[in-house]
Amino acid sequence: MSQLAQYIAEKRQQKPILSMTHVVYGYPSVQESLDWMATLLEAGADFIEVQFPFSDPVADGPTIVAACHGALHDQSLTVEQCLTDIGQLGRDYPQARIALMSYLNPMYRYGLEKLVKRCAEENIQGLILPDLPYEQAADLRTYCEANGVDPVWLVTPVTPKDRLAFLAKEATGFLYCVARSGVTGNSNHNGGDQQSLDEYLAEINSHTSAPIGVGFGIREKAHVDALKGKADVAIIGSALLDAYNKGGKEEGLKLFNNLFNS
Amino acid sequence: MQSNNGYYGEFGGSYIPEILYSSQQQILHAFEEAKNDPAFIAELKDTWQNYSGRPTPLTFCKNLTDYFGGAQIYLKREDLNQSGAHKMNNVIGQALLVKRMGKKRVIAETGAGQHGVATALIAARLGLECTIYMGAKDVKRQYPNVFWMKQLGATVVPVAEGAQTLRDALDEALRDWSSSHEDSHYLIGTTCGCAPFPEMVAYFQSVIGEEVKEQSQAQFGQYPDRLYACVGGGSNACGLFLPFLEEKEVEMIGVEAGGKGLELGQHSIRLSNGLGQKGIAQGFATMFLQDANGQLQETHSIAAGLDYVGVSPIIAHLAQEGRIQMTYAMDDEVVAACSLLLKKEGIIPALESSHALAGAFKDAPNLPKESRIVINLSGRGDKDIFNVAKAMNDATFPEFLEDYMADYKEHLNNEGEA
Ligand SMILES: Cc1ncc(COP(=O)(O)O)c(C=O)c1O
Repeated sequence: MSQLAQYIAEKRQQKPILSMTHVVYGYPSVQESLDWMATLLEAGADFIEVQFPFSDPVADGPTIVAACHGALHDQSLTVEQCLTDIGQLGRDYPQARIALMSYLNPMYRYGLEKLVKRCAEENIQGLILPDLPYEQAADLRTYCEANGVDPVWLVTPVTPKDRLAFLAKEATGFLYCVARSGVTGNSNHNGGDQQSLDEYLAEINSHTSAPIGVGFGIREKAHVDALKGKADVAIIGSALLDAYNKGGKEEGLKLFNNLFNS
Repeated sequence: MQSNNGYYGEFGGSYIPEILYSSQQQILHAFEEAKNDPAFIAELKDTWQNYSGRPTPLTFCKNLTDYFGGAQIYLKREDLNQSGAHKMNNVIGQALLVKRMGKKRVIAETGAGQHGVATALIAARLGLECTIYMGAKDVKRQYPNVFWMKQLGATVVPVAEGAQTLRDALDEALRDWSSSHEDSHYLIGTTCGCAPFPEMVAYFQSVIGEEVKEQSQAQFGQYPDRLYACVGGGSNACGLFLPFLEEKEVEMIGVEAGGKGLELGQHSIRLSNGLGQKGIAQGFATMFLQDANGQLQETHSIAAGLDYVGVSPIIAHLAQEGRIQMTYAMDDEVVAACSLLLKKEGIIPALESSHALAGAFKDAPNLPKESRIVINLSGRGDKDIFNVAKAMNDATFPEFLEDYMADYKEHLNNEGEA
């Protein structure tokens, strides 16, 4: 069994739903982003999804895009330093797990094989690359398998049924279920009516034994509560960043506690 | 050019968010079917001919030929298309495909606004809803095109993210498509993006080279010796070059934008001088201008249509194979080439196309008198009037603008009172 899946299974014994909080590395500065991650881990976050910024984040909406551009504005961020920093964070908070999210190009430039090896060394057990579809990821899959790191595949409400079944079967650490069409966060690019989330999650559950994470558009306690019993991890990104932008760590923490500790 | 499952050598592919998988597959299949459907091809040809004015002429330039004293110079006149550029060939093809797929809305990115206007034109004609993404900086620089897009009924969305230019507009168009894929088609303007876009756009643009084959046979009994095209995203170059790919004696030269100099940020040279590096972004693998950490970088060209960070995977592959020679022209050489064409041949070229002219003019004097070259005049230059006036330091242009402004304001005041 994958390390990540095992971690989720064990933690789920104690909690009806786990939290994965998203933070953009380097935003507003490297130190502040690391402080913010530590704060969330202190508050009991089960996962941090660390986004290494890319200049052209096409699956993200305005909040995260602005943070990525902000992070890249007048500092040069390296993948190596990011891995070292978040590896340390993971050692400081051994009860939680760190997943790395980015777009393909910065990872490709760094070297995919080296990336996976370094992730394993830093105990980063999950890798999320939204612009690397399964079919194009043969090399990455090989490296991941050899190093005990889980590549995280995404499925969406418009993924064809046979493909969904296939990806669900291939999922190891967890399967990332995108809750709706569109990009992350609140934007004018959000999809409209869809088959109900419950039905969609039931369909996915019927195909996989891997844990299920749900993200995109989770902003309120009701959204998190609605996932209990149907998914394992609630992934919260833009809403948390919106709160952080509004009132810093304090406001961000308030939202986190409201969603997961109340 | 047929791809190998979306790849051209090591370039191309389909690197898109999962949410777009179904729409991408739909386009793939619709295009395959349409290509093989005589009714679709007939409608395509009819629209090219009766709406856009194809075939465009192959014009012999006697004065230029005498002036350089070398190769005989011909121009392929894509400037005479409806909308004033080769962009029309592609938007007609894709818009007919949109109708076929039963979608009702098109999304497009645009830099200078040429592709935006072409898309808005065909959308108006075919009754499609149309949203154009354009960098906020480009909206300011290219307002006349924005004006026409709006008059044509398109919604123009200024993109204020990042460098606020074409690259950001393309990202934002992809984001729109991620949410609107069920009823919208992403009508990309060049031979870039995820498969099958490069192949499809190249297919629709290949009418350029097919016509040159016929016209050169008719006019001088053989194929040209050399072909020249400017390379932004690569669509006019693919269009001229690909039909000649198997004609090994025909040489092909692609001309990129050298801009103001070879430092990063001053040019858009992705394929010469080792300036670009392989990367995977915006849906496909190609040579990108990027830093050591894989962040895409800003680019520059006097011609907005060449001011792009990536390049067609087809061109990247053929350049790597040595089938196409790549070179570049600097901003000032481009303005000089534009000026020379105006004076010698009475043709107003787009600044993009003037890169191809500049590249060809460098070689022409040294080529044998009996050799023939064809330069793709991808677009006409009316749109560049402001930039060319500035580059030529025309002294009376500001005066004209001031008078025009004063008159415009007075007109608005009078309207307000009436
Ligand atoms: C007249 C003209 N030529 C060339 C280009 C460059 O595009 P491509 O390289 O796809 O032909 C443009 C793009 O806007 C254009 O308007």
